[in-house]
Amino acid sequence: MSDDIAPRLQAYLAEKLKAPDLTVANLARIPGGASRETYRFRARYTKGGTSADRALILRRDPAASLIETERSAEFRAYQAFHKEGLPVPEPIALELDGAALERPFFIMEEIENCQVGGVLTPDPYGEHREKIGRQFFTNLGRIAKADPKALGLSDFDGAKDVKDCWRHEVARWEKVVNDDEREPQPIVRAAIRWLKKNPPPPAQKIAVVHGDYRNGNFLFDSHGDMRGILDWEMAHLGDPLEDLGWAIDPLWAAGDAARPGCMIARAEAIHIWEQASGLKADPKALHWWEIFASFKGAAIWISAACEYAEGRNTDPINAFSGWYPLAFHNKVLADRLGAEHGL
Amino acid sequence: MNPEGDKILGMTAMRLATVVAPALTDSYAQSSVGLLNFMLSFVAKEYERGADIRATENSDIREAFAELTPLVADNELKAQLATAAREKDTSLRISALNTANYALRRLLVQLQTHLEEQEGHKARAGEKRIWQLLKAIAARRMVNLAG
Repeated sequence: MSDDIAPRLQAYLAEKLKAPDLTVANLARIPGGASRETYRFRARYTKGGTSADRALILRRDPAASLIETERSAEFRAYQAFHKEGLPVPEPIALELDGAALERPFFIMEEIENCQVGGVLTPDPYGEHREKIGRQFFTNLGRIAKADPKALGLSDFDGAKDVKDCWRHEVARWEKVVNDDEREPQPIVRAAIRWLKKNPPPPAQKIAVVHGDYRNGNFLFDSHGDMRGILDWEMAHLGDPLEDLGWAIDPLWAAGDAARPGCMIARAEAIHIWEQASGLKADPKALHWWEIFASFKGAAIWISAACEYAEGRNTDPINAFSGWYPLAFHNKVLADRLGAEHGL
Repeated sequence: MNPEGDKILGMTAMRLATVVAPALTDSYAQSSVGLLNFMLSFVAKEYERGADIRATENSDIREAFAELTPLVADNELKAQLATAAREKDTSLRISALNTANYALRRLLVQLQTHLEEQEGHKARAGEKRIWQLLKAIAARRMVNLAG
């Protein structure tokens, strides 16, 4: 497949970058989630008498996606937060019509010599866990603090009123469950009812919510420096506590809710986020958003299982997602909601 | 059959990890084989425990229905619960157990929703009983990554 798209990618980029001598080399598919096909390659060309040798990433829509996401929103989020000075790869090009490579795609810089932390690894950051943890929650606070209007993202999907954030997101993910549930899910259904009966207070502000800010979705280097926040495909407007609840979900901490993302202690993580965002993580509101996070996770895994079972996307990550993470989030929800009933 | 299916799946997973994956140079293929190895390990465990999990769960849900039916005010739901509580699994095939399980889970959602809408301490006790059941179901269905 890589060989098939290389000449077309080369022709596209030569035109896009106005570099007729551009060559594409070392094109190879890399792991990058089930919702986009991800390729790494180098683009070599001369422009204005200067030679360039750029490491780039191509993200192309698959035939069927794990979650329906807005690729132009993803691209614009990369643009906005890259300009804002957060560690985000520079976006290069977006093509929505898909003519050049059969399907819609976008291209961004590759941040080289970095790695992502394994989601299910108990200690993915080793000696750098605390340094990375402080950056991780500071950067999340900076996303929460940013003004969507100033970023040029105030037209993003999501709630426009602080009172509606929770309702908008519950409705969005309840629809996913309704559409993709292949077997009755009593715990998830009970969670939906609980979330509706016990709404959180209004959001402190409308913010850009990354939507999947977590362990495993950012790059770090060998010095423990966070270099690239990835996977903005679920970015939307909403309550900034939504991202915090998702980031501290125990699935991303190998089950240890006291040490979010296997990085730093929960209290320190929340304190850093509050300092960076200028917002308060009200415990009652955060509790609601943590329950929501596990529900949203379950909805994503139900959708993944459906894609796989119905043959639309047979990437093994979908089979895995519909099995282990769904069982995990069902247990988190049962434990947390059971505790609401004295268990 | 000996070796049993779980043994064959486990050994196949090990062969993928120790023979096939190291021979691959493409990182996407390596990652895919790693995940396939993981999935085969899960399926091997499910081969051993799958029928037991489902049969136990079905039995537990029926037991809860028998206990909680007297709390139900709605006559139609009450009759459905009473009927379900008396049923037994007649086959240990996964497909047959799943058919029964899905029907029981659907009824469990109805029962829990009904009790949530009822006033009084008996309804609250009934809700608590259901959460005990759901916690047990979730714990039993968890997949142990460690082996």
